[in-house]
Amino acid sequence: MSQKKLAFVFPPFATDYPDDPFINLTGFDDCFRKFLSRAAEFADPELIQFAIPSCTFLDDELKTQYISYIQACSLVSWFREKEVVPAYCSGYSMGIYAALFQSEVISFLDGLVLIRQAYKEIKKITMKKEFGMCAIIGLNLDDLERLIRKEKLNLKLAIQNSVCSFSLSGAAEDILRLTESAQKEGALSTRVLNVSVPYHCDFLKDTAGGFSEFVNQIQFRSPKMPIVSLVDQELLLEEHLLKNEVVRNLFTSLNWYETQLYLQELGVNRFVECGSGKGIVKNARFIEGDAVFYMANSFPVLLDAK
Amino acid sequence: MALITENTRKEVTDIVYNFFADECEVDIKDIHSDTNIINDIDGDSLMFLELIEIFKKKYNLDIELKTIGKYSVKHPVQTIGQLIDMQLLIIEHENKLLEFDQ
Repeated sequence: MSQKKLAFVFPPFATDYPDDPFINLTGFDDCFRKFLSRAAEFADPELIQFAIPSCTFLDDELKTQYISYIQACSLVSWFREKEVVPAYCSGYSMGIYAALFQSEVISFLDGLVLIRQAYKEIKKITMKKEFGMCAIIGLNLDDLERLIRKEKLNLKLAIQNSVCSFSLSGAAEDILRLTESAQKEGALSTRVLNVSVPYHCDFLKDTAGGFSEFVNQIQFRSPKMPIVSLVDQELLLEEHLLKNEVVRNLFTSLNWYETQLYLQELGVNRFVECGSGKGIVKNARFIEGDAVFYMANSFPVLLDAK
Repeated sequence: MALITENTRKEVTDIVYNFFADECEVDIKDIHSDTNIINDIDGDSLMFLELIEIFKKKYNLDIELKTIGKYSVKHPVQTIGQLIDMQLLIIEHENKLLEFDQ
């Protein structure tokens, strides 16, 4: 019988909170409130007002990023108390900061600092133009590239989630045009994402210099467990590789589909989405194999199976 | 072109009901033909996609996703009953789904 290996995957920032996914996690709320309180003291006093039922801050990208990071770090701590330790971890988009916290590469507060600085660097570049992102399901990459060429759209592939599920970044008007064309082409679903930044593509390339300088001032320690890159599916085991990952994560396309396949090659057969959503678990359904996926409301099942 | 029998309809119906009961964590008794997939049981397009993959494998179907997408634009699916009818048409016509629709 093969040994069960666990991977923690840290999701991007939330775009909605349909229900409180943590409601059945005994002790989680206390843990979250402690992290929230520290973050409010350190980064932004308004954070203390956060409450899931009122969907606080969803119209504020930076605060929402803070909250997603705080939730993820609280889950790390909650799982540690229960002695649940993954063999690998990986950060999807801004989930990289929580992955670094999980691997004890950075402190909780340094994660907040990195998130704030990345946001500042991004806003310097994107303040003069309206940008956005969209998610398209049901077309393959060739179809999308053909549509982009045909319509002369200035858009870039940002994330591949499965063979027919992609996120694209670019000018807001082109994002709208692509969603319309993709629907006509036969996409099963198109959705403009609630973001104003063209993440994970070279529109953000100019963040590299400033952000890299900043990242180099932050103390990174050797990871306690390997982090798998969503950029190139390499195992990141050294500080300089992790610093490079944090910087390129902003302007390089990500591939969750390949990352998941690679984790399975490494023997991972249990994936845990460490956040409030279930987007990563949902996309995981299109990967062959017998891996089991857990999201917040199924963590008690994971603990029972431990 | 496959022949749709009462058995096929029953099989497809069972798969669809069990799939949504499992994915949406609802009691199968609460799913009906007129259940709205998004509003009533919090379903989504990824579930629709997964279901298509299940049927493609089960019935060895030759159909492109975008053929189904184009058909869906003209015939949007909202309820479980509509979804079952569409899956039966997909099984019956495969890649000729759009020709059948003309």
